[in-house]
Amino acid sequence: MSSMSRGIMSDVEWRSPAGRLIVGAFLIALLIASIVVLFPYFFSFTAGLKTSTEIFKPGLHLLPEEAMWKNYSDAWKRFSMIRIFKNSFIAAGGGVIGQLVVSSLAGFSLSRLNPKGKKVIQAIILITMAIPGIAYLVPRYVMMSDFPVIHVSLINNWWGIWIPYAASSFMILILKNAFDAIPRDIFDAAQVDGASEPRMFASIALPLTSSLILVLGILAFIGLWGDFLWPLLILRNEAMQTVPVRLYNLTRSFPVNLFLAGSFIAMLPPTIAALFLQRYVKGGLTI
Amino acid sequence: MTETAMVQTKSRVKTRRRFNWRQQVTAYLFLAPALIIFALVTWYPTLQTVLFSFQNVGLKGSQGWVGVQNYVRMLGNPDFVTAWKNTFGFVSLSIVLGLLVPVALAIMINEMRRLSQVFQMIIYLPALIPEAVALLVWRLIYHPEGGVLNSLLKLGGIPPQLWLQNPDLAKPAMVVIMTWIGAGGSTLIYLSALREIPTEVIEAAELDGFSPWQRIVHIFMPLLTSRIQLMLVLQIIFVAQVFTQPFILTQGGPAKSTTTPVLEIYNAAFVRSDFGLASAWGVSMLVILSVFAVLSVILRKEEVYK
Repeated sequence: MSSMSRGIMSDVEWRSPAGRLIVGAFLIALLIASIVVLFPYFFSFTAGLKTSTEIFKPGLHLLPEEAMWKNYSDAWKRFSMIRIFKNSFIAAGGGVIGQLVVSSLAGFSLSRLNPKGKKVIQAIILITMAIPGIAYLVPRYVMMSDFPVIHVSLINNWWGIWIPYAASSFMILILKNAFDAIPRDIFDAAQVDGASEPRMFASIALPLTSSLILVLGILAFIGLWGDFLWPLLILRNEAMQTVPVRLYNLTRSFPVNLFLAGSFIAMLPPTIAALFLQRYVKGGLTI
Repeated sequence: MTETAMVQTKSRVKTRRRFNWRQQVTAYLFLAPALIIFALVTWYPTLQTVLFSFQNVGLKGSQGWVGVQNYVRMLGNPDFVTAWKNTFGFVSLSIVLGLLVPVALAIMINEMRRLSQVFQMIIYLPALIPEAVALLVWRLIYHPEGGVLNSLLKLGGIPPQLWLQNPDLAKPAMVVIMTWIGAGGSTLIYLSALREIPTEVIEAAELDGFSPWQRIVHIFMPLLTSRIQLMLVLQIIFVAQVFTQPFILTQGGPAKSTTTPVLEIYNAAFVRSDFGLASAWGVSMLVILSVFAVLSVILRKEEVYK
């Protein structure tokens, strides 16, 4: 991926005694940083294996005396982890699909279909990205509780999550960029062959950007999975709460060790998604 | 198609004659979902925030216009100053940590050759965890009695601290968590900036007798500076809106030392159902952050002309 095989120091310097010293120092620093970074994972994992009293025992006991693996299956069941995972999956998944559909259509239009006022629209979308979310949080909530025209409450409703999630200026601009990069001749040839715009969108633009769409989708999924405030406001029903919200609400209801075991489990899905993404990206991106 | 393009570049009059209604309708149909949704959930609400801020809005909707009463209440509330002072504190602390750590990490990882992939991944992991979950875990790490952090410190002879319950320590403790989450992304950005530097430049410097440290200072740092500036602005805007942390960890305490504007908005709107006041706060945030953003753009343009 990177043609650079060296940092500040050349290969020769790297092997020299002084160079080794520096690299060694860097390595130690990075290892310390890694320990700090990974510590919360480690902590919740091992604490999940302890008894509650053991966690708060004075003194430093990093490892459990006796690994209570049962805690994990307990947490899984008692938190109804399947249900909250399912909720997060529905919320984030629907949000991602919404984002991809809305953004790809809009991006394609801005890229290839030349609407009048294209520059204005693009500028507005760009400015929208700069508006802090707080500026529209409260009215957005009020609107979800009494949706215009149809006058329904979208509180405790998946659409109350999906509709706001679908608005992503960032994705529109990135996809527009990607569509711009497709050589014009392909579209011209298709037009000569009599293809309609939707056809060009579905059969040319989308397949050619599929890798990027997949990457964007996974990134968006990871981001939406962790969203806290909006699901907190909208999905109040216990049965619908997402992972972060549910865990937050359960903090006091469960013994600490179970809670940490549950938290550790909750940390896994986005991590796994990211690792999968890394492998996929390394395998080669054809944009 | 090509013919039309050539005609368009030649003269604008001919372009207007070839206004293709069908194509425009299609174009706007494609745009429609995005435009409708944005209008519904972003543009109109933002307008409403401004409007609400001048009204008395409760659970039953708007009760009427009250002029600047909400603003008077907001500014008269000592929490307003406190919240923004805290924001300033958060921002300063997070700039210091959020700058030094990622830059240092980027430079170090850059030297690691084959191991760099591994470290890159490790550093980025915290950014992936749902923030709320990570915070709940950190809350236990910071626990005054029996929390892991205090236990660790005791080994080093440092007395246990109250951390999140100590007004002086709460903010730094939270900034540590923020850095833990955010350092990964910044590091990767600086790392890619470092990797863009052509090897010839570094080799030339080496041949000219510059020591590694001098190379860092004279080659890396100037090139990183513009990126650092951009990251800085983004970071400030981001930190100013911090909500999840004070909400989950301290609820604005202890002694209001971690109250932030967004937390105040949440409390006003969803605890006290005072939507008008919440909107006034929202407008104040919008104004302050916009001013800041504009200022930073102006300052950067001036830098270019120096």
